[in-house]
Amino acid sequence: MAEVRLENITVSYDGKNNVLEGLNLKVNEGELLALLGPSGCGKTTTLRVIAGFIDPKDGHMYCDDRDFTRIPVHKRNFGLVFQSYALFPHLNVYENVAFGLKLRKMDKVTIEKKVTEILKVCDLTEFKDRLPKNLSGGQRQRVALARALVIEPELLLLDEPLSNLDAKLRLNMRVEIKRIQKKLGITTVFVTHDQEECFSISDKVAVMNGGVIEQFGTPEEIYTRPKTEFVARFIGFENFIKLHKVDGVLECADGTKISVDDSGDKDECLLTIRPDDIKIVADDYKGENVLCGEVVVRTYLGKSYQYETMTPFGKVVVNDASGTLYNTGDKIRMVLDKAKIVLV
Amino acid sequence: MSLGRYLSFFSDTYYLNIFVRTIRVSLICTLVCMILGIPTAYFISRTSKKVRGVLMAIAIFPMLTNSVIRAFAWINVLGKNGIINQILGIFNIEPVSMLYTEFSVLIGTIYLFLPLMIITLVGVMENIDNDMMEAAESLGANRIVAFFKVILPMSVPGIITGSVLVFTGALTAYTTPQLLGGPSNMLMSTLIYQRAMTLNDWTSASVIALIMIVTTLIVMKGLNYVASKLDKRGLE
Repeated sequence: MAEVRLENITVSYDGKNNVLEGLNLKVNEGELLALLGPSGCGKTTTLRVIAGFIDPKDGHMYCDDRDFTRIPVHKRNFGLVFQSYALFPHLNVYENVAFGLKLRKMDKVTIEKKVTEILKVCDLTEFKDRLPKNLSGGQRQRVALARALVIEPELLLLDEPLSNLDAKLRLNMRVEIKRIQKKLGITTVFVTHDQEECFSISDKVAVMNGGVIEQFGTPEEIYTRPKTEFVARFIGFENFIKLHKVDGVLECADGTKISVDDSGDKDECLLTIRPDDIKIVADDYKGENVLCGEVVVRTYLGKSYQYETMTPFGKVVVNDASGTLYNTGDKIRMVLDKAKIVLV
Repeated sequence: MSLGRYLSFFSDTYYLNIFVRTIRVSLICTLVCMILGIPTAYFISRTSKKVRGVLMAIAIFPMLTNSVIRAFAWINVLGKNGIINQILGIFNIEPVSMLYTEFSVLIGTIYLFLPLMIITLVGVMENIDNDMMEAAESLGANRIVAFFKVILPMSVPGIITGSVLVFTGALTAYTTPQLLGGPSNMLMSTLIYQRAMTLNDWTSASVIALIMIVTTLIVMKGLNYVASKLDKRGLE
């Protein structure tokens, strides 16, 4: 159980281009932090810096105010779960889990007690004599977790641990990881590119792009109030409309006035809103924030239809669950939910 | 040809000495190839694809020359006026006679078969994911411990295959012991030649040949048994 701080971390693989650029990050004790971002954004690099596999060119890493920057991996006592699980194929489940304890020169009785306990927590008791190749994906993943947890690490690091599982199992394991993490109260850093996974599991989220953190906050903050266009796009905002200020009022390119709670202090900004937060309304609807568009593509999503419409200022995507069907070429009126509009 | 011929082979100390020497040379050769080959192969397997290609070419390079030529190369190195004795001479050390000893035969065969061990091991080791090493490190093993606890056990199939290749190769090598060992360090292979070609005693030659085949089979069986004990994956 520990608090982790990254200060001004800079990493470069080739000496010229920086993969991480002056990164600062803090994970509080017992918290689960998710590093979210597209591939190549530096999230795995950040995790590997924390784990100790990468020597940063510059900056420091602290764990409970002790400088860990130069401490080798095997002396850090951090639990790691790899995307590939990296279970030792020549050892059975019990031996895999006991591996770290044997290295700590514990006596047999203690090892057995600890391993049995963690196998129970991870629901693996009946598989303890099996070799990794005879386990399913979900079981392997739990063994990897058990192996990382049994050494009672100060920090748990998970590198896209769920990406090799099928959708249903992923959901179960998500809950499972969260449950075990909270039960043991262990500080955790979780790397993922799946926004849904990230929001459901984490206490804090750091959205990364191009080696820097674009936004840091609680899942709710990030989900409802993305601060940059990149973050907005990454977490599912699909509509982007350019606005400019005329006499203190925001307007679209064609003069449609947009009313928001806080219009900000920039003269030009980008309005963004999720397709779910736009409603299709009748032609005689009177109110604010109404846009007109022509349906271009209709997609059936199951619980709703998605319409891609063409408006004077570009493409607008709207999800409609009302049941009324619109065809390609239909002109529709859409109202943007004032409270859900985000300006970036 | 009766069973008696086989029994008399093992009751004759001259033959028995050659038999034991052959086994000893082959085993030591295999062991040294293992000790030299495992770290080399691991190093090669961890390099980038480009560097690996170059290193593999260097490792295989000696195999491109004929074994006779390679034996002669060692005569030049180990001989009375060879490079080593010339260097020793600079420091006023008396020349050491290294040629025509079991040592020179060993040097020759190790040089001959080390590439085989390396090639086989690189093939197995390059398929071991680097995650394995990192997982072991994260659990508290330094690199050396991680190598012995994880990489080595996972390389067992390759080590066994390499050992079988090297052992059978060393057991049956002819030119190297002939050129570097001389008559006082005869091995089974050179003995067969002497019996058949020089003494025209084809019966003895066949007896020795069969004993060599059986020995090879026994050793291979034994190595496979060791492998299945070490590598539990092979059992299922």
